[in-house]
Amino acid sequence: MSRRPGAGYYTATAAKPGGGMPLIDKNDMCPVCKMMRYLNPDMEFLINPECYHSMCTGCVNRLFNDGPNQCPYAGCHKTLRRKGFKSAFFGDLAVEREVDLRRRVNSVFNQVEDDFETLRDYNNYLQMVEDLTFDLVNGTETKRREAEAQLLQWEMDHKPDIERNRKAGREAEEQTRRRLQAEQELARQRRIAAIQEQEEEKLALVRNREAVLDSMATGGQRVQLKKRGGVKAADITTAAAASAGSSLLPGSLDVGKLSIRGLKEKKKTAAPEGPYDPFGGYDFVPSRYKVHSGLGHPLLERFEHDRAHVTGGYSLEEFTARAMFEAFAGLGVFIEDEKEVGIGLSAGEVTGMAAGIAATGHVMDPR
Amino acid sequence: MGASPLVAYPTDALRQHDPFKRQPLSTNTSANGTPLLPGPGRAQQAPKSLDNLEQMNEDEKRKYVKGKKLGEGTYANVYLGHSRSDPTFKVAIKKIKVQKEYQDGLPPDAVRELKYLKELHHPNIISLISVFSSKDQNLNLVLELLPLGDLEMLIRDVERVSYGAADIKAWMGMLTRAVWFCHDNFVLHRDIKPNNLLIAADGEVKLADFGLARSFADPGHKMTSNVITRWYRPPELLFGARHYSGAVDIWSVGMVFAELIIRNPYLPGNTEVEQISLICRQIGTPTEENWPGVTQLKEYTVPSQVFPVQKKDAYMARFGSVGVEGVDLLAKTLILNPKNRITARQMLEHKWWHMDPKPTRKEDLPRKSGSEADEKAANDLKRRAGQVGEEPDRGSRVARKLDFGAAR
Repeated sequence: MSRRPGAGYYTATAAKPGGGMPLIDKNDMCPVCKMMRYLNPDMEFLINPECYHSMCTGCVNRLFNDGPNQCPYAGCHKTLRRKGFKSAFFGDLAVEREVDLRRRVNSVFNQVEDDFETLRDYNNYLQMVEDLTFDLVNGTETKRREAEAQLLQWEMDHKPDIERNRKAGREAEEQTRRRLQAEQELARQRRIAAIQEQEEEKLALVRNREAVLDSMATGGQRVQLKKRGGVKAADITTAAAASAGSSLLPGSLDVGKLSIRGLKEKKKTAAPEGPYDPFGGYDFVPSRYKVHSGLGHPLLERFEHDRAHVTGGYSLEEFTARAMFEAFAGLGVFIEDEKEVGIGLSAGEVTGMAAGIAATGHVMDPR
Repeated sequence: MGASPLVAYPTDALRQHDPFKRQPLSTNTSANGTPLLPGPGRAQQAPKSLDNLEQMNEDEKRKYVKGKKLGEGTYANVYLGHSRSDPTFKVAIKKIKVQKEYQDGLPPDAVRELKYLKELHHPNIISLISVFSSKDQNLNLVLELLPLGDLEMLIRDVERVSYGAADIKAWMGMLTRAVWFCHDNFVLHRDIKPNNLLIAADGEVKLADFGLARSFADPGHKMTSNVITRWYRPPELLFGARHYSGAVDIWSVGMVFAELIIRNPYLPGNTEVEQISLICRQIGTPTEENWPGVTQLKEYTVPSQVFPVQKKDAYMARFGSVGVEGVDLLAKTLILNPKNRITARQMLEHKWWHMDPKPTRKEDLPRKSGSEADEKAANDLKRRAGQVGEEPDRGSRVARKLDFGAAR
C-alpha cells in the first residue's frame, strides 16, 4: 500500500464534500479562526480522529469546552467532543489516520501464528486482516461500513481470545524489554572490567617504576634493599623478575610462579600427577637384539679413522644401530597370521610368538 | 575365446587417458616370441587396477572439505579443512605447489616430508593424516591442525606473553623428545627452529616441516652441508662438513633453548662468516685442541683473534634463570666438537628434568593472547556506552513488527 504524501490522496478516496484536509504546516494558519502562527508562535493544532480536521487549540477550547459540538468545517457534520482531540504525531494526516485504524484493527485481530494449525491458515488470516484494513483505510463508503461491521462482529465473537492474546503480547514485550536490559548491563560490566584491568596494569607499572627508583635511591643500605626486594618479588610479577639474577638464589624464589596465569593453581590441586618422565613413556631399546660397541665390519674399518667422517661428527655407532634395526625390521610380523586371525589373535599366541622371536634374536645376536 | 567387443571397446577408450605407457594391445607376442594371451582378461586388468587407484584417491579426497586459506609459502599453500563425515574434526591441508624446476615429478622437499611423516608417529611430531592428489596432479598433505601458532610467536610477543623456567622446561622436554624420536628412528630433521615448533590446541608442542629431513647416511655417502636455518646451524655445517650425525640437530635444540631463555635469537648472524664469528665470540673458537681435525674442514675460516671456550660462569650470567642444571644441559648442547656433543637420549637422561621447578602441564602453558574473551572486551571498548553487542541473538537482529502503540 503506497502512502503518497499530501492530503489530495486522502480526499480522493474518503473525503467528505468541502472537507479538504490541509497539511499541518509551521507557516500555516488555523483554517477555522484564520489565526497565523506569525501572530501566535505557540499555536498548536489538534485533530479529532472522527474526521481528522485540524484546528488550533484556541478554536478547540472555544467550540468544545461547553460540550459536544459540530465540526466547524463546512460540510462536515460529525459531532466532536473535547476529549477526542489530540495533537497529530505524523505531519501527514492521512498517515495519522491509517496508523490509528491499524492500531485499532491490530488490537482486535491479534492472533499469533501458534493459534493456527498450519502456516497456510495463518497466512490466509493475515491476508484477510490486511484486506479488511485496506477497506477501512482506502475503501469506498460502503466498503468501509462493511469492514467496520466485520470488525465489530469479530470482536464480539472472539472476545476471550483477544483478551488472552493481548495479555500474552504484553508479557512478551515485558520479556524483550528485560532481556535487552540484561544485555546492556552485561556489556556495561564487561567494559568496566576491561577498563579496570587496564588501570590496574598502569598502576602496577607505575608502582614498579617507583620501586626501582626507590631501591636505586637507597642503594647504600643493603639490608633495607634486600627486604624491599623480597616484598616486591612476592606481589609484583613482571618479566623483569624472571631475569637471571633473582632466580639464581637457590630456593629464594619458586621460578615456576613467575609466569602469570589464571586458573593454574586450582587445576593442579585437582589432578596430582606422577613424577615427570622426560621420555614421555616411550622407549626404544630393541627387544630382539643388543647393539654392542665393538660391532664392526671390514668394509667400515676405513671410515673409522677417515678424517672427514671423524671431524664432521659422523657416528659409525649410529650406522651399525641402523643396520641392525633394518636387518630386524619386519621380523615377527606375519602377514599371513594378520590376514587370517586378525584381531582375534589371542594374547597367549602373541606372547608365544614373541618368545620364539626373542630366542632366535638372541641366537642371531652377533657377539 | 575371442575378444568380446563389449569389453574391448571401453578398454581402448580408457587407454587414451592412461598416464602410464603400456604396450599397445595389438602386440600379441612378447619379446621372446611367446604368444601372449589375447582377449579381455589381460586387457581388462591393467586399466581396472589404475581405476582402483584413481578411485581410492578420489575416495580419500572426498573425505575432506577444503576451507579458507591459512597461509601461503614458497612451495605450498596451507588451507583449513575438515572431515566431511565429522565437521568438528579440523585438519590443515598443505597443497604442494607445482614447481617449475620439478615439473616431471614431485619436488624433493615434498617427497621428504611425505616419506618421514608417514613413518614417524609421536605426540610431539606433527601427524600426517592422509595424502591425496587433486586436479593437475597437485599433491595434498592432510596434516593435523595446530591452531595456536608457533613458539616463535610466543618468544617474540614480549609484551603480552610471559613465561617462566617451568614453561621453558616443558617446551624443551617436548622438543627434545621429538628430536630423540627422530634420531632413534634414524631421521635427521635438519631444520629445527622456533617457527617450526607448532603448538596444538592442548598446548603440546609439535615438530613440523620435514622438508629438509633425511635418514642417516651410509658411511662414505656425502650429505649436503647447506641445511638448517643459519642462526641455528652448527659449526661443522658452517665449515662444510659432508659427513655428520644427529649432533647437528642437537646444536639447533641448544640454540632454541637459549632463545627461549633470553627471548631473542642467541646468535643472529647475517652471513655465514658473521655466524662463525658470533659462535667464536660467544662460545669459543674451534681449534685443533678442542676439536681435532677441524682445521682440515673445507671451509674452515675463523677470526684471527682466538677466543677461549666459554666457561660455565659465562653461561650462568646470561642463562641463569633455568638453574645450574639447566645451564649445564645448555652448555653440553653447545659443545663445538660434534663427537663430544650430548645426544638426544643423553639430554633426556639429564638431571635437569627432575629438578625444581617441575615442568608446567601442557594445558597450563602460556598461549598466544588474543583469545575470544580478549577480543570481546576489545570490541566492548570500541563501542559507545549504551550500545549492546552486535549480534547477541537472532531476536534483536530481525526487524520487529512496527509497534504503533509506542508511537504515542
